[in-house]
Amino acid sequence: MSDAAPRPNENMGEPFPRIDARLKVTGQAPYPADAPIANLAYGTFAVSSIARGKINAIDIEPAKAVPGVLAVFTHREMAGQLEHPKFGNAAASSIAPLDTTDILHDGQPLALVIAETFEASQEAAQAIRVDYAAEQPSATFDAQGTETVAAKEASEQFEEDVAAGDFEAAFAAAPVTIDQRYSTPTQHHNPIELFSTTAVWDGDGLTVHEPSQNVTGWKVELAHQLRMEPEKVRIVSRYIGGAFGSKGPMTSRTAIVAWAAKKVGRPVRCVVSREQSCMTQTYRAETRHHIRMGADRDGRITAFAHEGWEVTSRPDPYVVGGTSTTGRMYDYGSVLTKVSIVKADRNTPGYMRSPPETPYVYALENAMDEMAVALNMDPVEFRRVNDTQVEPIGKKPFSSRSLMTCYDQAAEAFGWKERNAAVGSMRDGDWLIGMGCATAIYPTNVAPCTVRLRLNADGGLRLQCGSHEIGTGVRTIAAQMASERLGIPMDKIEVEMGDSSLPPAPVSGGSVSTASVCSAVIKGCASIRGKLFSAVVSADGPLKGAEPATLDMKDGAITSSDGRSMPMKEAFVAMKTGVIEDYAEFAPDGATPEAVSKLYGGQSEMKGGEKGEKVKYAFGAEFVEVRINTRTREVRVPRIVGAFAAGRIMNTRTARSQLMGGMIWGISSALHEVTEIDPRAARYVNRDLQDYLVPVNADIRDLQVILVPEVDMDVNPAGVKGLGELGNVGTAAAIASAVYHATGKRIRDLPIRLETLLT
Amino acid sequence: MSSNPASPPNGVSRRGFLSGSATLAVATPFVAHAAEQAAPGAAAKDPHAKVAVSFNINGKPYQLGLDARTSLLDALRDHAGLTGTKKGCDHGQCGACSVLVDGRRVLSCMSFAVMQEGAEITTIEGLASTDGALHPMQQAFVDHDAFQCGYCTPGQIMSAVGCVQEGHAENDDDIREYMSGNLCRCAAYPNIVAAIRQARDDMKEG
Repeated sequence: MSDAAPRPNENMGEPFPRIDARLKVTGQAPYPADAPIANLAYGTFAVSSIARGKINAIDIEPAKAVPGVLAVFTHREMAGQLEHPKFGNAAASSIAPLDTTDILHDGQPLALVIAETFEASQEAAQAIRVDYAAEQPSATFDAQGTETVAAKEASEQFEEDVAAGDFEAAFAAAPVTIDQRYSTPTQHHNPIELFSTTAVWDGDGLTVHEPSQNVTGWKVELAHQLRMEPEKVRIVSRYIGGAFGSKGPMTSRTAIVAWAAKKVGRPVRCVVSREQSCMTQTYRAETRHHIRMGADRDGRITAFAHEGWEVTSRPDPYVVGGTSTTGRMYDYGSVLTKVSIVKADRNTPGYMRSPPETPYVYALENAMDEMAVALNMDPVEFRRVNDTQVEPIGKKPFSSRSLMTCYDQAAEAFGWKERNAAVGSMRDGDWLIGMGCATAIYPTNVAPCTVRLRLNADGGLRLQCGSHEIGTGVRTIAAQMASERLGIPMDKIEVEMGDSSLPPAPVSGGSVSTASVCSAVIKGCASIRGKLFSAVVSADGPLKGAEPATLDMKDGAITSSDGRSMPMKEAFVAMKTGVIEDYAEFAPDGATPEAVSKLYGGQSEMKGGEKGEKVKYAFGAEFVEVRINTRTREVRVPRIVGAFAAGRIMNTRTARSQLMGGMIWGISSALHEVTEIDPRAARYVNRDLQDYLVPVNADIRDLQVILVPEVDMDVNPAGVKGLGELGNVGTAAAIASAVYHATGKRIRDLPIRLETLLT
Repeated sequence: MSSNPASPPNGVSRRGFLSGSATLAVATPFVAHAAEQAAPGAAAKDPHAKVAVSFNINGKPYQLGLDARTSLLDALRDHAGLTGTKKGCDHGQCGACSVLVDGRRVLSCMSFAVMQEGAEITTIEGLASTDGALHPMQQAFVDHDAFQCGYCTPGQIMSAVGCVQEGHAENDDDIREYMSGNLCRCAAYPNIVAAIRQARDDMKEG
């Protein structure tokens, strides 16, 4: 068995290969920009080159003169034509470009060119000339003119600054304290698939092919902006070329392209350049953290304070607020937190893989290592002393928490006991060696989800669900769950996803998809089983009179616990039917009565995390070895081990791949990724894949993922904790700790580059 | 079509629609080559005139009339209807558009289609046998879960085939180095290395 397909341990599913693997390796998987459309016209946006001010005049005549140009649309044509986006749900921002002469950020769309060819649209967009009334923008933290607001006052999405006990008194009394500041940079998702919109009108109906993590939410939001009935709008996104949060919220481009397509009477495709995508999509905003921690000399934390600051746009109070998680991580004696947002002249940020946890847990775990050093304790033992099964804020139990099991298994596999704890003590020729570790944590969420199942007498199943295959394997996993419940082979199951005309599923964000989709599949399968079971116990045949509760479906048959069985095909005869179709609606415990109708309205009501009587999180532990060249200060991560416990693992292959990808994202956030901002122009500088660094193949060497068995049926009916966002939490802190161990330099501002280590 | 006065005089420069100055340095030498070799006369006078080009894709002949600025990538996707080759950056920075041209791996976004007169081009669609059997590299990518979203995968696979044929897949360090022009944002790198290792041996046996 290859590394890619780990042998399933307790409570883990088979490493079934992805059911869409063949399509993906033959180039046949239809990504949205691949859709063959007749009579297609091409769109290109012209965008602002200032970050703040007004348009005085815009000259589109040179663009219109380019041969092949069909139309050029600016605010002159479009003002008032679209409803403004509704920030906070499916829309990325409330900013409505092409409706106004106001410019709120660099790269704001100012015009859309439609042309016969891609080349002509590009040439024409470059030919547009804009006369601006420019004002000095505020780029980021510390810039003049920014506005700092408490998150709980500015945003409905941020509920509270969690607190417990008397932090100030406990911190003042603590014999060992640290008081440090940390920061994380701006990052862009940069999925390899470019962002694109293909809008096709058929009468008054609109189909949009666009990579989306939220087809139902987009349908409703796009209909709102276009002043249409949602039933007239369809979003198709069967395959998504990487998302990581970037394709969750719909940007303003979609409605503009759809409006333009109607205006020119042609289908329009707009594939956005890598450069423009950095300015017109969302991104992970830069954050700052102030952590104060006090502990007893025996290592028990008595006081923990975490203040965070995050940048957002002028109009939209976007906030991630990871203190809800960091405030519950360990058995702190007292907790004080506060989150603030800083409004600058920037486009609105959005969620990016583990939005709150990546920056906030980085700060916490770097501080944990600093405290372990201050206490002269082993960092694993320091976590053990402060591990808890009851979170400190609401004193609620964790539904399950296998953190220390993860630490112990990962430490064993890594060879942690070989580490010499003295700073700078480990060396191999020109390379300083450092080892570090950190905790991974992610809230376990689940949301309402619906599914339609159509089972025929031959055992063929069609499973329809408006979820999204962003590379997680959810299509394969949904089939596995149905295969298990209905006793039919995987190759008889066809799964349709990524289309708003299917039964709605929640946004594929917050690591909810596997849990939510599988819970709905379980419910639909239970209904089909119930129909078959009640037919076979009352019809003449081998199962007549059997107790339905003793029946199961296995290997194409209905079986009884006393050994009797009957082929499924005959059960259909007993029912006098050829096909059983079931539509199931799943709503999690604690959902409101209107949760499913809200799902149809494009809103995902998430449950889990810190909500409910038990708090629900998945945990892991990551260990890294870094090597730092004594001459060049080049930093390498030759080895990384992560152990993770996330309830039921549906498929060890796809789970391992997601966690592996997450850990590499963690390495990337530690050593590679930063969007540089020109402070004078409030402009992103490295807007391409040459200068926005992400790991390449040669950056990654030994990587080991350990799947730790865990059973937790409190989280959802599938017993699944999402793990797509777990793997990249904590990694950067483990690397920062390893860099400290190797060099004695504590790096608190990411990323860690060789220039950081030269002085 | 009328000529466009805003256009650069040689007509085939990508300057008009590329704003990344780093890319220009790379693109410029190709411009001269394209003008001499593939588009004499007509294109130099009228930048918007269609230029005829013929090449084989996956063994089949194609004759296309293209804007001289059309990249090989856009020719494959928008004019030959072969959308398996993917656009990830259009700047030669990600590798998603990798194809084989006369057996060598080429970034199709960095090559004008008109430069490929007479070339044998192999894309992801041409790799599997006509009976549907997967190429050993495709099978190895399935076996080792060497992708997640699958978007960079056609480019990874074409590049991997080139890598093996070049003799640059003899050990894991070489594979990592010679595959580092193909970005995978899902970060399936360890699985890609394992897949190429398997396919290298299968390709030798085959």
